[in-house]
Amino acid sequence: MSSQVAFKNIKEIPPVDYYTSGRRTCAGCGPAIGYRLISKAAGPNTIFIGPTGCMYVANAHQFLTSPYAVPWHHTQLGGGGAAAIGVASALRTLMLKGKRKLEDINVVVMGGDGAMADIGFSGLSMGLSYDYQRLLYIIYDNEAYMNTGVQASSTTPWGATTTFTPAGKVKPIGNTRLKKNMALVAAAHPKVKYVATATLWPPLDLMNKVHRALNAGGPTLIHVLLPCPKGWFTDPSATVDLSRLAVETGMWVLWESIEGQFKLNYKPKPRKHVREYLAPQGRFSHLKDEDMEKIDKMIEEEWKFWEESAKLGRLVVPY
Amino acid sequence: MSAIKPIPPVAIEKPKAKVWNGARAIAEAVKVADVDVIAAYPIRPYTGIMNSLASMIANGEFTADIIVADSEHSQFEVVKHASAVGARVFAGSSGVGLAFAAEPIIVTALSQLPVVAAIGTRALDDPGNFGMEWSDALMFRDFGWLISWAKTVQEAADMTLVAYRVAEDRRVLLPHFIALDGAAITHVATPVVPVTKQQATEFLPPYRPPYRIDPQDGPVTKAQHIAPSLIGPEQRKTIDVAQKRSKQVIAEAWKDFAKYTGREYPPFLETIGMEDAEFALIGMGAYMKDIELVASRLRSKGYKVGTVRLRYVRPFPAEELINALGGVKAAGVIEFGYSFGSPFGTGSLYHEVATSLYEADTKPTLLDFLFLGGREPTVEHFTQLAEKVIESAHKKPQKKTYWLTLRGEDI
Ligand SMILES: Cc1ncc(C[n+]2csc(CCOP(=O)(O)OP(=O)(O)O)c2C)c(N)n1
Ligand code: SF4
Ligand SMILES: [Mg+2]
Repeated sequence: MSSQVAFKNIKEIPPVDYYTSGRRTCAGCGPAIGYRLISKAAGPNTIFIGPTGCMYVANAHQFLTSPYAVPWHHTQLGGGGAAAIGVASALRTLMLKGKRKLEDINVVVMGGDGAMADIGFSGLSMGLSYDYQRLLYIIYDNEAYMNTGVQASSTTPWGATTTFTPAGKVKPIGNTRLKKNMALVAAAHPKVKYVATATLWPPLDLMNKVHRALNAGGPTLIHVLLPCPKGWFTDPSATVDLSRLAVETGMWVLWESIEGQFKLNYKPKPRKHVREYLAPQGRFSHLKDEDMEKIDKMIEEEWKFWEESAKLGRLVVPY
Repeated sequence: MSAIKPIPPVAIEKPKAKVWNGARAIAEAVKVADVDVIAAYPIRPYTGIMNSLASMIANGEFTADIIVADSEHSQFEVVKHASAVGARVFAGSSGVGLAFAAEPIIVTALSQLPVVAAIGTRALDDPGNFGMEWSDALMFRDFGWLISWAKTVQEAADMTLVAYRVAEDRRVLLPHFIALDGAAITHVATPVVPVTKQQATEFLPPYRPPYRIDPQDGPVTKAQHIAPSLIGPEQRKTIDVAQKRSKQVIAEAWKDFAKYTGREYPPFLETIGMEDAEFALIGMGAYMKDIELVASRLRSKGYKVGTVRLRYVRPFPAEELINALGGVKAAGVIEFGYSFGSPFGTGSLYHEVATSLYEADTKPTLLDFLFLGGREPTVEHFTQLAEKVIESAHKKPQKKTYWLTLRGEDI
């Protein structure tokens, strides 16, 4: 298994798109930008599975256009994990029985945080326990149930206001649960070949990780933080900047686990205060200075574990 | 075979009978159907089917991928998507397992994917109960699944082959449940004549879905979110049409099945003694054997009693039922599925029969007999209810619905 770099610079990004026009996502939609890069990296011999969520509903159009230039099938909100196993199993079995030509085909699930970290958690875990190759689970994490109108999921960060966890007079913080770390969960599955986190920054990082995952020789997962202007109450033009700030403030940690080998991809030096990431976002606008300090402290504490993991070359659970 | 004799259209193989329970017999049928992907999750009483399949695969009796799922929801998601890619698939469940998988089960039909699944019928919780009821299977009456109901282990195995043939027919493309009465079919061993590999291969053409999810077939987008104004009702109509078309396909398939195996079945209704019957006992499943026995005993006492057994609840054979019941004075529906708060407190099957008879020129007095909560009925109970049906022809019955309760006082 390699830590190979398929796309060394922007010029090497293939011009062909497999996620194209014919959709109605919001302006500046992080998951849509992510989808485009992920599908470019995966290439034409790919089947996408789309659990319900924005990347299902908003990728359709009332005039029946489809943005997908590769085979694509809807699955139920909690069905991503199992649907991919069905596809992978069918391909492998049909090839094994001589009913289909032998070929490498990627199976990629584009599941939201609600789809993968909540309702489809059990099925995802099942999927990660099998040994199908070229099987990649993408969690496109916009940190809430956006398609239904911004409700908290188990990956919503502490302090975010959502329609189910609004900040109010008696409950001033909004969401008080701590974000679930799905990449760590995935890494706890012994058959998993490759786990990574990513976002839209640095450029090419996400695409190279997709390439590595699909060539890893087993089930893989990439947990991708993707800003959502509607649910984060941010400017559509700020999506990529926010991805960068998430990394530079240490709020989002870029790492890979390649067959159990831990690699920290980026260490902010110096780490920016989390305020820079939180302040532009309407969902945190109710937070007081002391709340932001608290978040910054949590990040500080957590980073000790990431650095320890980097030193040891294997994951040390931070919680 | 001699070369000078005219060759019959199909030379019927006559394999030796085996003694198999329903679970094993279904598994053997799945094996000869050359199924590719199977998804399993344990729940009584259907589990034995998967146990058998797993050991057949482990011992190299046939090649298939068996996925040990984390839940019934995943189980049905696995087979749905494997089917979309072009694999022949098999799943199954019972009781609350089906309830847990309701979401993928429903969308499988609305997506027109020809999944075949077995139901070992079982009472739903609460309280937990290993007994047999029909409400788990009948939950899925309304979404487009074809649903057949077996009387014997032999029929259950044969229905499995026919199910693949009908479900995968391009005129149909609907998923298919085979309902097996829990314990009575799943666990009872009887002699079964197996369908041979050769018979299955000749009877069942390979599965070729029209639009596969496979890069070989180009960029197919399937089950995309839609605008109701554009294809909402039209998409639903395709399911309705497929259900209606399936009647002819089912009839053809059973005729063909007889050609290859020598075993003949009437496609939709099995009627016994209905030619001159004044009284009819209507039902389905394994207990029909006892009900037929009761009818024949009453006949020998001079009562013109016949039986009508439904082999399919979807598509529902309404015309056939109206024809069979023409001239009958009184009839009783005998069933194991409830619908609390329904008209007259009758069961699910009664609604189907009564709706059909509303279109009949002459309507018999129609009573309903409910066996709920999993307690096993006996020949004695069936005799008592048959007597109620006979009596109702000349004396207006006090009520429509009769229950078997603790003391049996209702029947
Ligand atoms: C079983 C089920 N429950 C609820 C819904 C309603 N629903 C549709 S989209 C959605 C949001 C999914 O959230 P997430 O996976 O985070 O994706 P996002 O919308 O944020 O892109 C929900 C809850 C559904 N479609 N299915
Ligand atoms: S709500 Fe968020 S995730 Fe959904 S389409 Fe809009 S920006 Fe994208
Ligand atoms: Mg989300």
